Amino acid sequence: MDAGPAQDSAAAPEIVVEGLGKVFGRRDAVRDVSFTVERGGFLALFGPNGAGKTTVLRIVATLLAPSSGTVRVAGHDVSDDPDPVRRLVGLISHSPLLYRDLTAYENLRFYADMYGLDDREQRIAELLDRVELTHRRYDLVRTFSKGMLQRLAIARALLHRPRVLLLDEPHSGLDPHAVGILDSLLAEIRAEHTFVMVTHHLGKGLELASQVAIMDGGRLVFHQAAAVDERHFAAVYREHVREGV
Amino acid sequence: MSAVGRRQFRALLRKDVTSELRTKEMLVSMFLFAVLAMVVFHYAFSVRRDVDLTFFTGGMLWVTFIFGALLGLNRSFVHEKDEGCLDGLLLCPVDRVTIFFAKMAANLVFLGVIQLLTVPVFSVFFVTRGYWGDLGALLAVLVLADLGICALGTLLATISMNTRARDLLLPIVFLPLIVPLLVAATSATTAIFAQTATGDALWPRLAFLAGYDAVFLVVAWGTYDFAIGEG
Amino acid sequence: MSDRDERSGQVPARATPQAAPTAGVGGPLGAAALVVYAIVALTGGLLLAFWWAPTADEMGGFAQKIFFYHVPIAETALVAFAVAFVAGIMYLARRDARYDRLGLVAVRLGLLFSALVMATGMIWGKAAWGVWWTWEPRLTTFLIACLLYCGYFVLRATVEDESRRATYAALFAIIAFVDVPLTFFATRLVPEGSQLHPVVVTTTGTGMDTAVLVPLLICMLGMTLLFAGLLRLGVATEALREELAVLKDRLER
Repeated sequence: MDAGPAQDSAAAPEIVVEGLGKVFGRRDAVRDVSFTVERGGFLALFGPNGAGKTTVLRIVATLLAPSSGTVRVAGHDVSDDPDPVRRLVGLISHSPLLYRDLTAYENLRFYADMYGLDDREQRIAELLDRVELTHRRYDLVRTFSKGMLQRLAIARALLHRPRVLLLDEPHSGLDPHAVGILDSLLAEIRAEHTFVMVTHHLGKGLELASQVAIMDGGRLVFHQAAAVDERHFAAVYREHVREGV
Repeated sequence: MSAVGRRQFRALLRKDVTSELRTKEMLVSMFLFAVLAMVVFHYAFSVRRDVDLTFFTGGMLWVTFIFGALLGLNRSFVHEKDEGCLDGLLLCPVDRVTIFFAKMAANLVFLGVIQLLTVPVFSVFFVTRGYWGDLGALLAVLVLADLGICALGTLLATISMNTRARDLLLPIVFLPLIVPLLVAATSATTAIFAQTATGDALWPRLAFLAGYDAVFLVVAWGTYDFAIGEG
Repeated sequence: MSDRDERSGQVPARATPQAAPTAGVGGPLGAAALVVYAIVALTGGLLLAFWWAPTADEMGGFAQKIFFYHVPIAETALVAFAVAFVAGIMYLARRDARYDRLGLVAVRLGLLFSALVMATGMIWGKAAWGVWWTWEPRLTTFLIACLLYCGYFVLRATVEDESRRATYAALFAIIAFVDVPLTFFATRLVPEGSQLHPVVVTTTGTGMDTAVLVPLLICMLGMTLLFAGLLRLGVATEALREELAVLKDRLER
C-alpha cells in the first residue's frame, strides 16, 4: 500500500489547514483556523488552556473529525483519506501511549505490526538504541520512570518513519535528563521532519520554530511565519491573549 | 481480510492475551465468580432435600456465564482506557472493524477458557447424569451463544467505556438485549442436561442462536466506526 | 495576522440551519390539529366498540373491549421504535441534530406507549382471566422493550459530550429495534403452559367480524394520529429547549 504523499513536489506545503472549525455539541472549540506548514518547517503553537490548540493537533492527527473546513497532510484530506495520513504522522503527547503490562519490546512490536513494517526487528533495535533503552527492552513498561516512558514514547512515535511529528506539550513532567534526551533527539531529526508543537514553554518552542502562532478562544490570534525573539514574544503574547478568561 | 488486516488482528489479539496472562486479573475474577455463583445457587435452591434441579441446570449455567461475561466485557478496553492508549490505537492505519474483531476474539478466548473450567465443576455440582453423548450438542450451544455474547458485548462495551458511568452502564444496556440469546441458550442447555434433547427441541434453538449472532455481527460491522471514533 | 473581533458578538457559523422552533405546531397538519383528529377518531372508535362490536366471550367477555385500545397502543409503540431506528440511521448518515431530537421524542413516546400496553394488558388479564401477569411472548416482549429503552435514557444521561451522546443514542436505537423482533421470536421458542393471549391475526387472515375490525382500525388510525401529533409537539419542544440553551450559553460568555 502506497504510504507516500499524494503530491510529491518539494515546494508544496506539508500541512494545509483551511477554515478549520470544530464544534462539540454547543461549544465552538475551534473557529476558522487557517495556516500552512511547509515541508521541514516547525510551527510552535502557544495559547492559554482551553484555547483549542490540542483540538487542532488532534484533528491533524486524524483523532477528531473537523466540523467545517479542510485539513490536508501531504495532499491527503484527513476526513476522506485518513489512513495515508496516519502513516505519515507521529504523535508525542504527555501520555506515552504505551501498555504497562507489556515489555518495551512487546510494545514496539505491537505498533510495528499495526503499521505493517517490513523491517520490524531491525527498526525496533535501531530505535531502542537511539533512545538509550536497549538494556531495558525486556522489562515491563510498568517499571519505567516518567523519563524512560517518554523516551520509549518517542521511539514508538518514530517507529513507522513519519514525515510529520505532532507534539502535544512533550516536555511536561519530565526530569532534566529526559528533557535533554528529548531536546537532542528533536535537534537531530529537525531537518528531516515537519513539526507542529503545542507547548506552554516559550523558550523551547521558540528555539526550534520556523513559524509561531497563538490561539485563544478557538481562534488564531497571531501568526508569524518566522522565528521570533523570546523577550519580544512574551510581550506579543500578553498583547494578544485576553486576560483572566 | 487482507494480509495487513490479518497481521493487525493477530497483533491486537496477541497484545490483549499477553496482557491478561501476565496479570490474570480478569480470568481469576471470572472463574471465582462462576464457582461462587454456583455455590450460591446451591444454597438458594436447596430448600428441600428432595428437590430435583435438573430443569434448572440450563438457567443456572447461563445466568452464571452472562454475569461472568459482563465482568470480562467491562474490561475489554481497560488497558486502552486506563492507560490512555486509545489514541495510540486510533492513530494506527487500521480498519476500525479489525479492532472490533480482535477485541471480540479476545473476549471469546477468555469466556471460552472460563467455560472450559466451570462446566465440569458445574456438572459435578448439579448434573446427575453423564452427558458424554450429547457433548457435541453442548459445545455447539456454547460456541453459538458465546459468539452472540461477545459480538454484542464488545460493541456495547465500546460505547459504554466512553461514558461517565462506564462499568455501571454496560449491564443496563447489555442485559435486555441479551434476553433472546439467554432464552434460546437456556432452553437448549436444559434440554441437553435433562435428556430431552431431541432434534426437534435443539435445532430451532441452535438456528435461532446462529441467526442472533449473524444479526449482531452485521450490526457491529456496519456501526463500529461510529462506536469507537471520537467524531 | 491578529483577530481582535472575538467580542463583536458575531453569531458563530452553525453546522446546520434550524427551522423555526415552533414549526409543526400550527396548521392543518400541525401537532394541535393531529391531536384533535386523533381524539375524534379514538372517541368514535370507542363508541363503535361499545355499541356495535359484539362481545366475544372467548376473549374475556366485557373486559375484551380494552382490546380496542390495547392493540392500537401496541402497534403505535412499535411504530415509535421504528421511527427512532430510522432517525438513528439518518443521524449517523447526516449528523443533523434534528434527527437526534426526533429519535429522543420517538423513544420517549414509545416507552410511554409500551408501559400503557403492559398496563392495559394487565388490566385485561386480571379482569378476564384473573391473572395480573403471564409470561407470554407479546407481553414479555413489551416488558423487555420497556427495560431496553429505559437504558436509552440512562445512556444519554451518562454521556457528557453532546455530539457523542447523539451518536451513541442513535446506535442504541438501531441495536434496540433490531432486538425487539428477536426477543419476540425467542419467547415463542419456549413453550408456555397456557397461551392466555388470544391470537387475533393468524396466517389465514384476521378471522374477525367486520363489526370488530372496523372499530379496531378506526382506533388504530386514531392512536397513530395521536402519536404523530405528540411527536411533532415533542420535537418542537426539544428544538425550543435547544435554542434556549444556545442563548443561555451566549449570555454567559
